[in-house]
Amino acid sequence: MNVSSSVPSDSEGQPPRSARHRDASSGRGAEAAHLVELMTLCSRGHEDAFAELYDLTSQRIHGIILRVLRSPDHAAEVTQEVYVEVWRQSARYSPDKGSVLAWMTTMAHRRAVDRVRSVSSEMARDERYAVHGADREIEQVWDGVEQRLDIERVRKGMASLTAIQREALTLAYFGGYTQSQVAQLLKLPLGTVKTRIRDGLIGLRDALGVEA
Amino acid sequence: MSEIHGAVGSYVVNALNPEEREEFEAHLAVCPTCSREVVEFGETAAELSLLAIVPPPPTALRGSILSAISEIRPLPPEPPSEAAPAESAPSATSVPAEPGRAMDELALRRQRRRTRILGVLVAAVVAAAVALGGVVYTLVQGQQAQVAQQAAETELLTAPDVQTYSTTMKDGGQISFVVSRSLNRAMFIGKDLPAVGADRRYQLWTLEGQQAIPDNLVAGGGDRKEFFREPLSGVTGLAVSVEAAGGAQQPTPSTIQAVTDVSG
Repeated sequence: MNVSSSVPSDSEGQPPRSARHRDASSGRGAEAAHLVELMTLCSRGHEDAFAELYDLTSQRIHGIILRVLRSPDHAAEVTQEVYVEVWRQSARYSPDKGSVLAWMTTMAHRRAVDRVRSVSSEMARDERYAVHGADREIEQVWDGVEQRLDIERVRKGMASLTAIQREALTLAYFGGYTQSQVAQLLKLPLGTVKTRIRDGLIGLRDALGVEA
Repeated sequence: MSEIHGAVGSYVVNALNPEEREEFEAHLAVCPTCSREVVEFGETAAELSLLAIVPPPPTALRGSILSAISEIRPLPPEPPSEAAPAESAPSATSVPAEPGRAMDELALRRQRRRTRILGVLVAAVVAAAVALGGVVYTLVQGQQAQVAQQAAETELLTAPDVQTYSTTMKDGGQISFVVSRSLNRAMFIGKDLPAVGADRRYQLWTLEGQQAIPDNLVAGGGDRKEFFREPLSGVTGLAVSVEAAGGAQQPTPSTIQAVTDVSG
């Protein structure tokens, strides 16, 4: 029996539910637009919209905070600070500041870095982890094919950078180090590190095809 | 490029010290190019954060946050500022520059207290779990099985030759087959599958040329994932049909939902 010939093509079935699926760029756009709607509702005091915003974003936001801080206790505290701040500042968000997710990630990363620098003397943070541990953890994570494909895209983007760009970017972004500390760690002049971080972001941006 | 422009990357990844940050933000206010780059790189950095994804935060945190915000009134919108030149400049500086300073002290203290209370709660839950003893042990065993399943999934997903074939089934369900030839395994993943009725199941098939070999059964409704039982050697295609709950020996042609060529 020839199985393939007996199957109608996809187009005869229901329309593809592309809006919910992120492989289509329209899906990504729809998701981003939904976050903007939620943010607008938050600014008018809708707590249920905030709860949905939390559910849609907390894995990302908590993830980056925990990566920078390493300590689950500190991460929980900073995550809470960030979400309270998102709620308070919701009316101040506007799309020309970038996507909601980028706005929130920026805030989360900034706070995590501020926290890590203020408490870094108490926390024994392993520098090598920041460079070499970055790839390990995500391999333990499974949250659907779509997310895996997204992660794969970013990893490929990172892999397309030069080793120094990648290390400088990783130390700064995930390690929470200042550019001067990165320069010391990599034994490079500050100017070089600055350029590598910027070039790294440019390379990654181009590899990901992120529309601004 | 002037030196100060060069700091834009470091600014976005928060690698500037307070003095450098202040200096750069002063520059941002008057430099549309850097302002645009800050927004662009902000999107890129947000994507980068995907690499930091770990399992979801503790559920207790959600409750703690939701109850914290219920006591806080969102700030009114910023009054439109006349000082800002046209469009591009204001964006970057107003990316949550110093939210910490603006934060109401009382709310901050309240939050801190809540976080401590959260810690106490967690400790209490752990103590209760210890008291439960045997029940917890059974739970742990269940988790271990889950961990083994997860390890198999991770192995498949990170296989160097892993390939994902996504398609829409006849009934509209979105599915993917994740295939690794080197591991000789394949997995079926259905997202938000349509219900097929209590006495019906999705049945997986491996295809070798014209022949269909029955494989595992998957319930309808919700998110499902299931490994194929059959090894992949010799398999040219993967298929799904809807069959009676007990499964069939041959796919019923009218209920075949999807056929994917994986020979490539």
